[in-house]
Amino acid sequence: CKKSFLELQPKGEFLGSNFYANPSQALEGVVAAYDPLVTETGGIDNTYSDPLGALNAGSDDCVAGGGSSSDVNQWQVFNNYTLNPSVGPQDQFWAINFQGVNRADVLLQALPSVPGLSADLLKRYTGEALFLRAHYYFDLERLFKNVPLILTPLTTAQVYTVTQATPAAVYAQIEADLTTAVADLPPTVVAAEDGRVTQGAAKALLGKVYLYEQKWAQSAAILADVNGTTPGGTNSTYGYALLPNYGDIFDPKNKFNSESIFELVHSGTQNYTWSNWDQFKSNIYVQMVGPRSYGGPLYYSGGYGFNPVSTQLATAMKGDPRYPYTIANIDSLTKATNTTYSPSYQNTGYFIQKYAPLLKNVVTTGTIDLNWPNDYIEIRLADTYLMEAEALVNAGSNTARAQALLDAVRARVGLASVPVSLPNIYNERRLELATEGHRWFDLVRWGQAPTVLGFKGFTANKNEILPIPLNETTNGSKIKQNPGY
Amino acid sequence: SPLKAQDVLNKTVNMSLGNTTLLDVLNYLQKNNDVKFIYSKNAIDVSKTVTVNFENQSLKTVLDQVFKNNGIDYEVLKDRIVLGKNAENTVTVNNDGTVTIATGTTSAKAVAGIPVTGKVVDETGLPIIGASVVEKGTTNGITTDINGAFKLNVSGPQAVLEVQYIGYTTKDVTVGAQTSITITLVEAVKGLNEVVVVGYGTQKKAVVTGAISHVAASDVQDQQVTRVDDALQGRTSGVNVVQSSGAPGSAPAIRIRGITSINNSDPLYVIDGVVVDNGGIDNINPNDVESIDVLKDASAAIYGSRASNGVVLITTKKGKKGSAKVSYNGYVGYQNPVSKPQLTDATQYATLRNEAAANDARNQGNTYVPVFANPSSFGVGTNWQNEIFTNALIQNHNLSISGATDDANYYTSFGYLDQDGIVDPSISNYKKFTFTANTSYKAKKWLTIGENITYTYTHSQSSLNTNSVFGGPLSSALNLDPITPVIQTNPAGSPNPSDYANQYAVRNAQGQLYGISPYVGQEITNPLAYLQTQLGNYNYATNLLGNAFVEITPIKGLKIRSQISAKQAYYGSDSFTPLYYLNSSTSNLSNTSQYLANNRNFTWNIDNTATYTRSFGKHNFTALIGQSAQEESGSTLGGTFIGEPVNTFSQASPNFSLPAANTIANGSDNQPYHLASTFARLQYDYDGKYLFSGVIRHDGSSKFGSDNIYGTFPSAEAGYVISKEDWFPKESFVDFLKIRGSYGIVGNEMALNPFEYTSTIGSGHNYVFGNGQVLNIGYSPNAPANPNLKWEETKTADIGFDAIVLHNLNVTFDIYQKLTQGMLEPVQLPSYAGFATAPFANIGNMENKGVELELNYNDRIGDFRYSVGGNISYNHNEVTSLGDQIQYQKTGSLQGDNSYEIGRVTPGQPYGEFYGFEELGVFHSQAEIDAYKNKSGALIQPNAKPGDFKWADINGDGKIDANDRTFLGNPLPTFTYGVNFNASYHQYDIKLFGQGVWGNKIFQAYRRLDIPTANYPIAALNAWTPSNANSNYPALTVTDPTGSGDFTNPSNFYLQNGAYFRIKTLQLGYTLPTAWLKAADIQKVRFFISSNNLLTITGYKGYDPEVGIGNNNQFGVDMGIYPQARTFMAGLDITL
Repeated sequence: CKKSFLELQPKGEFLGSNFYANPSQALEGVVAAYDPLVTETGGIDNTYSDPLGALNAGSDDCVAGGGSSSDVNQWQVFNNYTLNPSVGPQDQFWAINFQGVNRADVLLQALPSVPGLSADLLKRYTGEALFLRAHYYFDLERLFKNVPLILTPLTTAQVYTVTQATPAAVYAQIEADLTTAVADLPPTVVAAEDGRVTQGAAKALLGKVYLYEQKWAQSAAILADVNGTTPGGTNSTYGYALLPNYGDIFDPKNKFNSESIFELVHSGTQNYTWSNWDQFKSNIYVQMVGPRSYGGPLYYSGGYGFNPVSTQLATAMKGDPRYPYTIANIDSLTKATNTTYSPSYQNTGYFIQKYAPLLKNVVTTGTIDLNWPNDYIEIRLADTYLMEAEALVNAGSNTARAQALLDAVRARVGLASVPVSLPNIYNERRLELATEGHRWFDLVRWGQAPTVLGFKGFTANKNEILPIPLNETTNGSKIKQNPGY
Repeated sequence: SPLKAQDVLNKTVNMSLGNTTLLDVLNYLQKNNDVKFIYSKNAIDVSKTVTVNFENQSLKTVLDQVFKNNGIDYEVLKDRIVLGKNAENTVTVNNDGTVTIATGTTSAKAVAGIPVTGKVVDETGLPIIGASVVEKGTTNGITTDINGAFKLNVSGPQAVLEVQYIGYTTKDVTVGAQTSITITLVEAVKGLNEVVVVGYGTQKKAVVTGAISHVAASDVQDQQVTRVDDALQGRTSGVNVVQSSGAPGSAPAIRIRGITSINNSDPLYVIDGVVVDNGGIDNINPNDVESIDVLKDASAAIYGSRASNGVVLITTKKGKKGSAKVSYNGYVGYQNPVSKPQLTDATQYATLRNEAAANDARNQGNTYVPVFANPSSFGVGTNWQNEIFTNALIQNHNLSISGATDDANYYTSFGYLDQDGIVDPSISNYKKFTFTANTSYKAKKWLTIGENITYTYTHSQSSLNTNSVFGGPLSSALNLDPITPVIQTNPAGSPNPSDYANQYAVRNAQGQLYGISPYVGQEITNPLAYLQTQLGNYNYATNLLGNAFVEITPIKGLKIRSQISAKQAYYGSDSFTPLYYLNSSTSNLSNTSQYLANNRNFTWNIDNTATYTRSFGKHNFTALIGQSAQEESGSTLGGTFIGEPVNTFSQASPNFSLPAANTIANGSDNQPYHLASTFARLQYDYDGKYLFSGVIRHDGSSKFGSDNIYGTFPSAEAGYVISKEDWFPKESFVDFLKIRGSYGIVGNEMALNPFEYTSTIGSGHNYVFGNGQVLNIGYSPNAPANPNLKWEETKTADIGFDAIVLHNLNVTFDIYQKLTQGMLEPVQLPSYAGFATAPFANIGNMENKGVELELNYNDRIGDFRYSVGGNISYNHNEVTSLGDQIQYQKTGSLQGDNSYEIGRVTPGQPYGEFYGFEELGVFHSQAEIDAYKNKSGALIQPNAKPGDFKWADINGDGKIDANDRTFLGNPLPTFTYGVNFNASYHQYDIKLFGQGVWGNKIFQAYRRLDIPTANYPIAALNAWTPSNANSNYPALTVTDPTGSGDFTNPSNFYLQNGAYFRIKTLQLGYTLPTAWLKAADIQKVRFFISSNNLLTITGYKGYDPEVGIGNNNQFGVDMGIYPQARTFMAGLDITL
C-alpha cells in the first residue's frame, strides 16, 4: 500500500496547523473564548455547575436546598462550610476559568498572524480576548488567591512545571489586560452583537478590580466614566441608565437593557434535550431554583428546589419595594391558592424570584427544564453606582457624588435618601443585588464574612478563599494547597 | 452396508502422478476413491518412488500394477484393503511352528527360536487387523490377521515385539516367559493430531510452538451459551472472562493473561480469517463454531499491531464429506434469580431512620425527634427486589444442513434465540436470528473458491441502566425505602399528597397510582412505574459479515489465497419518552419525545497470502508471506421528534406533523481509519522433533503521525519434542513431551483514537450573541498535539511444555512474562492547563507475570467412559511506570459526594487497586477517642464521637485527611480456574463444568451515599448505638455532623472478598440406541436436561460476585449489576 492510504484528514474538525486562516475563523476563536462564561457543565468532572448556585449557597442570601442533604453536594458543603479539597465548588470554578484563560491565550497567540484580518478587527478581537482573560483571572484570583499565571497555551511538556504566581502579579496582569482592552474595544456594539464586550464593560470590570485591590481613587475615577456625570441620569457616555421598573431588569424580554453593562447571554431557542449535556447555553439555574412539584400559579411546576432564600434575607427585605422582585414566597402563594408543592431540603418557603422559572418563560419547543432563556447580568449600573460610591467614601473624596449615586439607586425603587456611609452602602448592595452572586464576595472583601457567615460555619482566615481542587495539588503538580485546607 | 470385495476392486480410477511416492498414491486413492488401506510401515516401504498414469482403469488394475509390481500383495477385507508383502516375500508359518520370511529373491530363511502367538486389540477389545508385529532390531515380523491374531517365532525370551498400527501409539512388549500375548494398542492421543489455527494457517498440535489454547465445538455446544465469548469462561487457562451483567445479550469482558494495557485490553477477534471489531463476535451463533483458538503469547505477532491483548480465532463449521446431514438442536428453559442482597424491611428501616436521627441529635446536642412515631406500624412493607425479579423464559433453536462431495462443501444454518431477562422482562429481553452459509468449491484440481456469509439480526430491550447508582429498576430496588407501597391506594392520606396530585404521576393498567417515595428521591424511583415509562423502547442491529476467497495451488506445496471480506452493520434504536412524574426530581412534564436512530458501520479487509510447504527428508518447512489492508468507516444519524400528540410508545410515530423546531436531527461520522500490513512466517521442524517458528509483521496505521506510521513486530518460537529422541525411555510413564519457548514483540493501537498525533480544532465551544439569541459556533483546540505518539508494544516471553503421561493425561504448562511499554492512553492534564479533552500519550509500562496449568484425563472403565479436566491460571499484574510526571491515575469514583477515587493506577501496584481510607473499627466510647493520640499528644480525631470510624493515620501526621488514603486491595483475581467432568455410560451422559476466581476484592457501592435515607443493608441493624456499643458497624447518620465520612469515604468498609466458585453447567443426556433409529434412518437423537449457573459458592453479599469492568475502566465495583440467572432447560439434538 501507498503511504497516502494511511494519511487521512479528520472529519468535522480542523487540523490545528490549518486553522485561524481567515477572519471568520478568527471570530470563531473569539466565540470559543466567550464560551466558558456560561458553560454550566464544564467543571472537572463535567457535572452540572453554575457559579450563582455555589455563591448563593455560600452567602447568607440562600441555603443549598435540593433533593437531600447531599444533592449537588458542592453547594451543600459551601452552605455549611464543611468544604475541603476533595468536596466543594472549587472544581467548577477552577476548571472553567482556566479553560477560559486557555481559549484567550490561544487567541492572543493566533490573532496577529491571521491572513486578511483587518487592523480594526485585530484590535477588537485582541481587546475581547484580553478582557476575557482578565475576567477569568479576576474570578480565579478572588476565589483562590494563589493561582498560576499562564499567558501562553501550555504544551504537554510545560504543564507540570507551572507554579503559582503572587496575587500582586496576577492583579498587575489583570489591570494591564483590561487597560489595553479599554483602548481596543468599541464603545458600543450593534444589537446583533449584544453580549460582546464593550469599552464600558471593560472599564466597569477594571473599576471593580481596583475596588477589590482597595485602589479607591483609581476605582472611583474609572467607574465614574461608566456611571456618567449625572447619577440616575440617562446620558452617560455609553448610554447606561437605570431602568424605571426594578423588576424589568431580570425579565428575559428585556435582555441588554440600558442598565446592563456586562451580560452573560443564554438562549431559550435551542431545543436542548438531555442528550445535549455539555452544550447547554440555556439557563439551567432557573430550573434549579424553582419549587418542586408545584401546583400553584405563575411558576413552572417541575423545579428542583435549590437555593431557597434564607429567612435572614427575607427578614432583611421585609417592606423593601424590591422584595417581590427578589423573593417568591411560595409558601404563602400555595396557601392562598389552596395548592401544594413539595418542600425541598432546607425549605424556607422563600424562593429566588430574579431567576425564577416563570410559566410565561416556558418554551414551547425542546425540554422545558433545559431551555430557560434568562440571561445573567453580571455587571449592571446599580452595581457600578454602589461600587463608585463605596470607593469614594473609602477615598474620603467627593461625598456629594457618593450620596447622589446611593440616592439614585434608592430613588429608582421609590426609597428615600439615607446618608451615604459604608454601612448604608453595604446594606444597599445587599438589598439591591441580593441573589445576584455578589454577596459572598462583598462579605469577604469587607471583612464581614466571619461574623455574618459564622452561623453557617465560616472560619476566619480560611474560608475567605476556596481550597484548590485536591487533584490539582497532587500527582506531579507543583501547585500548593491554600492555607487552612 | 460394506462393499463387497469385487465392488471395491471395480472402482474406476483416474490418476496421473509423476515421480511420486507410494504413500502419495495411497493417499490419493483414499481421498479420491474412498478406499481405505491397512498396512504396516515395517512391511511396506511407502516412500518408494513410482510414476502412475491411469485413465478410467479399475482399482484392481491399479493395485496390480502399482503394488504387485513393487512386491506388495493386497487382500480385500470387508471395506478395507490390507497390504502386505508378496506371497514370495510373505511370512510363512511352517508346520513345525517356525516362521519363514522370504525377502525379495533372497531364499527363505528359517528363524530359530521360540514361537509366540498373540492377539492385537484396541482399547475396546476389538481385534486390530493388519497391525505389524516385528521383533525389534530385525526384519522378523508379521501382520495380524482378520482376527487380530499373529504367530511369530522370535529369537528368545529377551526379544522385544514392536507392535504398530496407524493412528495408534506404538507399543513394545518383551516376550519373556509368555507364549501367548494379548497386546492392547492405545489410540494415539487425539490432542496431538488436533489441528490448531495459528492465524493465516493451521498447524498440528504436536508441532505447535506457541501458547495456544484450543476450545472445541463440543465444549461450546454442551454449555448452551448464548454468546461465543461466554463459552471461553473457565475453559482454558490464561483467559479471564467476566460477565458483568446478566442482561440478555450482554457482552462479557475478556482479558487474556491479565490486563495488558490501561486503555484497551480487549483481545482481537478473527472470524474465519476476518478481523472483526470488538462487537463482531456478537454475530456468531455458538452452534456454528467449529473451534476457538486463543493466541496467548508471541505467536500472536502474526497479527502485529493489534495483537498484544491476545487474539481469539474463531473457525466456523464447514460441511464434512458425505451426504447431506440435517441437524437440529434446541432447548427451552426458564431462568430464575439466584440471590438477592438482604435489606431492611419497613419496620427495620423506620427503626434505623429513627436511630440515625437520634445519633445526629445526640452528636449535635439537639433534641431527638423521631422520624417515625411507630416503626412497627409499617410491618414488612414492600420488598422491591421481589417486585422486579421474576422467572423468565429462554428458548434457542438451531437447524443446520451440511455435507460435502469431492468438489463442493456446504454448511448452512439457522439459529433463533429468544431470551427474557429476570428483571422486568417486558423491558429486558433479547432476540437473535442468525443465518450462516459457508460453501467452497473445488473448481479445478488447483483452484478452490468459496465464501462464508453470516447474517444476524438482534432486537433487544435493555432500558435498565444497570451497574449504575443513577436510577433504573436494580438501583431503585436496592435503595428505595420499604415503606412506600407499590400501589398507593390512599394518596390523600400519604405523607406526600402533592406528588400524587401531579397529573403525570404514573398509573397501572387498572388506573391505580404507583407509590411515590417521600423519603428516597432523585433518580431512585418506583421501579414498576419506571417500567411503564420505558415500555416498547428497543435497540436493533443487522449485521452482515462475509468473505469470499480464491485458493490456487499452481505447483505442489504452494497455496496462494486471496480473500476479501466485509462487515456491514446497521443498528439503531427507537425510544419514546412519555409525560411522566416519578418523583419531584425525575419527571418529564414538558413534551413527549421520540428518538429514532439509524446508524451504519462498514469495514472491509483484503488479505493475500502465499503458503509454501515442502519437505526435504526429515526437514519440513512451511513459509508464509502475506499482505493485508483494512478500512473502517461509519456514521450515525438520529432524530428527535418532540411533542407528538400521543403518550405511549405504541402510538408514537414520526409521521405526525410537527413544527420544524420540534424535529431535531443529529448525526456524526466516524473518523476514518486505515491499516496496511505485510507479514511473513516460517515454520520449520526436523522430524517433528526440533521445531522452530518465526514471524515478522510490518503494520502501518493512519492513527499515527508520519514519523511513526509504521511499526514492526517480530517473534520467534522454538520447541523440542524430547519424547521423540531415541534415548528417551519408551516404557516410561511419559508418552509425549514437548518443551517450547517463545519471545516476541506485539503491538496495540486499538487503544488510540484517530488524529491524536496532531492538534485538532474542535467545534461546539459556542456562545450566544444578540437579542435574537443567536447561537454562534466557536472553535478552539481540543488538546495539545503529541506528534511523538507511537505504537504501544508488549514484549512477551513464554516457556512451557505439553506432555502426555500415562497415555491418558494431557498436561500443558506455561510460565510467561509480558512487558507492555509506552501504553497509549488519554492523559488527563491538570485543569489549569485549560483543556477539557485529555490528549493521548505513550505513558507508562505494565507487567503481567503468570503461570498456567491445564490437565485433561480420559479413561474408561468397561462401558463407563469419562474425562476429567481442569485448568488454573495465576496472573500478577503490576504497573511499573507512569512516566516522569505523574505518580498515579485515578479509576472509578463514588457518586457525587467527593472527588476521592475508588482505585488508582500506580507504579508498583496492580492496575486499578482499590484506594481509600482504612478503618480500624469503630470508636466504642469517648475513652477510645481520647486515647487515639498523635506523637505530640493531640487527638487524631478530635471531632469524632463514639460510633464513628477510627481511621488509620497512614502518613502519621497526627490528623486524618486526604493524605491518609492507602491501597486497600486488588480488584483483579490472582487465580482463575475451571474444572470439567464428562462421562457416558451406554446411552447416558453427564457433563459438569465449573469455574471460579480467587484473590480479588469487590467494592460494594450500590447504596446511594448521597441519599442518606436510602434503604439499609441488613448488617446496619447491628450499627453502633450507645446500647450496642461493641459493634464495629459505624453509627448511622443522615447529615454526618461529626464529619467522620464513615459512609461517604471510600474505605475498606465497602470491600468484600470476591472469590467464588460456580457450577456453570450441569447436563444429563440420553441418546436413543442406534438400533431403534435404524428403521427411521435417523443417525442420532439425544435428549438432555441442563442447568446453567446451578450453584455459586461465594462470600460476597451482593447479587452476583461476577463483577466486571465499570465506569472509568475500574474493575470490581458493584453499583447494582444485573445478576446472572440460574437456568434450567430441556433440549433435543437430532441428526438425520
